[in-house]
Amino acid sequence: MVDMVSCKGCSLCVEACPTQVIGLADEVNAKGYNYAYMVNPEACTGCSNCAMVCPDSCITVYRMKVAEPA
Amino acid sequence: MDNKKDIRLMKGNEAIAEAAIRCGVDGYFGYPITPQSEVMETLMLLKPWETTGMVVLQAESEIASINMVYGGAGCGKKVMTSSSSPGISLMQEGLTYLAGAELPCVVVNVVRGGPGLGTIQPAQSDYFQSVKGGGHGDYKLIVLAPASVQEMADFVELAFDLAFKYRNPALILSDGMIGQMMEKVELKPYRKRWTNEEIKQMHPWATMGKPAERERNIITSVELDPNAFERFNHKLQDKYRKMQEEEVRCEQFNCEDAEYLLVAYGSSARICQKAMELARAKGIKVGLLRPITLFPFPTREIQALLGHVKGILSVELSEGQMVEDVRLTVEGKVKVEHFGRVGGVVHSPEEVVEALERKIIGG
Repeated sequence: MVDMVSCKGCSLCVEACPTQVIGLADEVNAKGYNYAYMVNPEACTGCSNCAMVCPDSCITVYRMKVAEPA
Repeated sequence: MDNKKDIRLMKGNEAIAEAAIRCGVDGYFGYPITPQSEVMETLMLLKPWETTGMVVLQAESEIASINMVYGGAGCGKKVMTSSSSPGISLMQEGLTYLAGAELPCVVVNVVRGGPGLGTIQPAQSDYFQSVKGGGHGDYKLIVLAPASVQEMADFVELAFDLAFKYRNPALILSDGMIGQMMEKVELKPYRKRWTNEEIKQMHPWATMGKPAERERNIITSVELDPNAFERFNHKLQDKYRKMQEEEVRCEQFNCEDAEYLLVAYGSSARICQKAMELARAKGIKVGLLRPITLFPFPTREIQALLGHVKGILSVELSEGQMVEDVRLTVEGKVKVEHFGRVGGVVHSPEEVVEALERKIIGG
């Protein structure tokens, strides 16, 4: 999840993602920056590299609970 | 508590605001503009009017801001404003009046890509406007170029010291990268604001009320007698020459044995540090000279390196502005070229090395 209000579009998360999940949006936020979003959410491994590099702590990573195999 | 260091992780713009409160600034007058808005946002959040008594006011425009600064400076107060490129253009009339009236103040320019409204990403395309005066008339601003969030904080106090020493406006020429970047900063302890009595003693020119025993102080930049105004202009030029003699600041990396020199300031200097490492790893003897004061420009420092330097690349986020001052300094003795991405695009260290090899070493 990206806090698009405080994102300044610095692209550090785009570089840090090992599976090219993140891109910058065509739209801009209230400050005028092209904010980060998940272009390719299926490829996310939940590694949280993006959240760690984000200088403004805009990114929170959640992992979906998958049902235990029977 | 006193000997404990106050270390924070903060944005460059936030550091400006913190430093302003801590060095005892009396007033900040500004108008929001990206990528600089956090300066006033932080001041509004910290509410210094409740602690140090500092005034923070959002003016109705940049023109109003700089004229409020003009008024405050006339009273000998420590006053400042900040903006980004288009807003600084609007302030140029006020700045030339401040320089003409010999008033101290600090202006912060968090530069974005131009011309026009341009982009909101970092650029260094306001170099000419900053170091050549900017408004009309023969005047200069003292221009400081921070390359880190730490320097954003430190240069507020330095800029005020120089501004009051020379009774001249000082400009902190930052950019969208340094302003938005988060880094570790060591903040200085709080200093008290000057009292009115202290101002009267230190700055006898300030308009703080006329006592019976002296003539009134008049703050003005108008003079109807051209001969008198020529003398005044000469006085200003003497002041600028003194700055050139005494106030040059720059930082040198690996310059002692350098065959090739990168000259870069602010965020470009940060990128060039990495570029220098990459080039040195390839066996190219590269040094980096980072002007900290852009006016006065480190002329003597660059000239001193010309014995062993074979070529100079001026790296700026512009289409080539500082390169002109480097060329004037070098006087044709070695090859000087420019490299830079523009419009809010930032060059990579690899691009700088490639440009050095193509334009200077190979060219």
